[in-house]
Amino acid sequence: MEELPGPFPVGRYARKLQEELRRRARVRLVGEVTGVSRSKVQAYFELRDAEGAVPCAIWLDDLEKAGLPEGGLRDGAEVVIGGGPDYYPGGGQASPSFAFRATHVRLAGEGDLLARLQALRNQLRAEGLFELQKQLARPRLPKTIGVVTAESGAARRDLLAGLERRGWAGTVIWAFAPVQDRRAAPAIGAAIQELAAMPAVEAIVVTRGGGSLADLWAFCDETLCRTVAMLRVPVISAVGHERDSTLIDDVAAVACSTPTHAAEAAVPLDCLAARDALIRSAAALRRAGEGAVGTRSRHLVALARGPARALRRERIALNQKTREIRAASERGLAERRAFQRRIALVVLSRAARRAAGADADSKREALRRARVAFRAHEPERTLERGYALAEDGDGEPVTSAAAAIAAKHVRLRFADGGVGAEIDRDGGER
Amino acid sequence: MSEAPESYEAAVERLEQIIDRLDSGQAGLRETLELCREGRELVTYCSAELDAVGEGLKELKLDDLAARLESPPEVA
Repeated sequence: MEELPGPFPVGRYARKLQEELRRRARVRLVGEVTGVSRSKVQAYFELRDAEGAVPCAIWLDDLEKAGLPEGGLRDGAEVVIGGGPDYYPGGGQASPSFAFRATHVRLAGEGDLLARLQALRNQLRAEGLFELQKQLARPRLPKTIGVVTAESGAARRDLLAGLERRGWAGTVIWAFAPVQDRRAAPAIGAAIQELAAMPAVEAIVVTRGGGSLADLWAFCDETLCRTVAMLRVPVISAVGHERDSTLIDDVAAVACSTPTHAAEAAVPLDCLAARDALIRSAAALRRAGEGAVGTRSRHLVALARGPARALRRERIALNQKTREIRAASERGLAERRAFQRRIALVVLSRAARRAAGADADSKREALRRARVAFRAHEPERTLERGYALAEDGDGEPVTSAAAAIAAKHVRLRFADGGVGAEIDRDGGER
Repeated sequence: MSEAPESYEAAVERLEQIIDRLDSGQAGLRETLELCREGRELVTYCSAELDAVGEGLKELKLDDLAARLESPPEVA
């Protein structure tokens, strides 16, 4: 240390430091006011953003000339100040201090904030932080969602209404946090990280109602937005109104214009419609199953009936044929039998004729002659010649006189008829 | 169930495939019955998933959960 120059008296060094700082270029700074305090002549505050802070001081005269609205210089206000660094060397009693000596101050306008926002946006986009969340898979039907929002506010109510309209009634884990001031961004960041660390949480909604860009500035916080970009749980942002665009919207998986839309993005599935669709699917499956079995079983039944039908058809045809054959054969048999009978008759008659032979004719001739001879001896022939035949009462011929006397009465039969006769036993002797 | 679906959306996607296949009328009997069985299992799974988010909203506060985690376990 002995090689260093000096030692110099500290008071002189302090004044030199003051001179050097005051020579630095005067600039404008933009940031959030915190820790405002006042003395009789000055106001003190810190101007800060995510990366750092500078202690500031402004003479009350200058503050008055700035024409800020009543209470304009307050904690959380985004302001632009003009001035340069200064150093108060202190005195016998007073402590030394460094401060950015502001000579001008105004509330930051949309333009200032938009310029800062654009710069941040360009930087984060260039680092690829806008894409990370968008690559995450979002479950269509989460059972648990985390929500970061203000404890009191319309956003909470609107989100619940949106979830109810979806027919979703799972678990909501509320992480309440300030959504507007210097404490907001770190609190929101911490809440998001805590929710993301819970395994059950499948999506995180960050929401608040509308406001000016200054009101929504916490959601443009670089640290918060870097935290969101690196999360492995999808974050759905619904900050401000449709026209508002905060940096968290850029890094989130989904940016929504209202809490109601955020509810739909967190639970993409319309549970009521899904239930109806599921009922239809179940019915379609049942139809398909029953149809497949029914159609095929009917087909099988038809197939099973086929052979039986075919058999019956064949059997009927067969029976018919059998009957026809039987009828035909009976007819044929009868004809054959008749034919055979005719043949037999012819054969028999021929055989008989053969057996009778030639002497049959001569026998017939002898018979004829015998019949003529016999006729010549018939009593009728004799009677015709004039003879009479005596017969007794019994019709027996009386062939002797003794028999005639014994008979007493006889009947005389002539060729033309019979007459009774009394036998006179003496008549023969006359 | 042969294999639990990865997620509700995976289950629904598979279910739609199954119904498309059944509607096409190209599946044979064995495949149809197999698809119907798988489809019924998916419907059961999806129905259970919907039931899980349909029985009443449950609201928890992160602060309460954190406090519960931080409090020392009670000694019996």
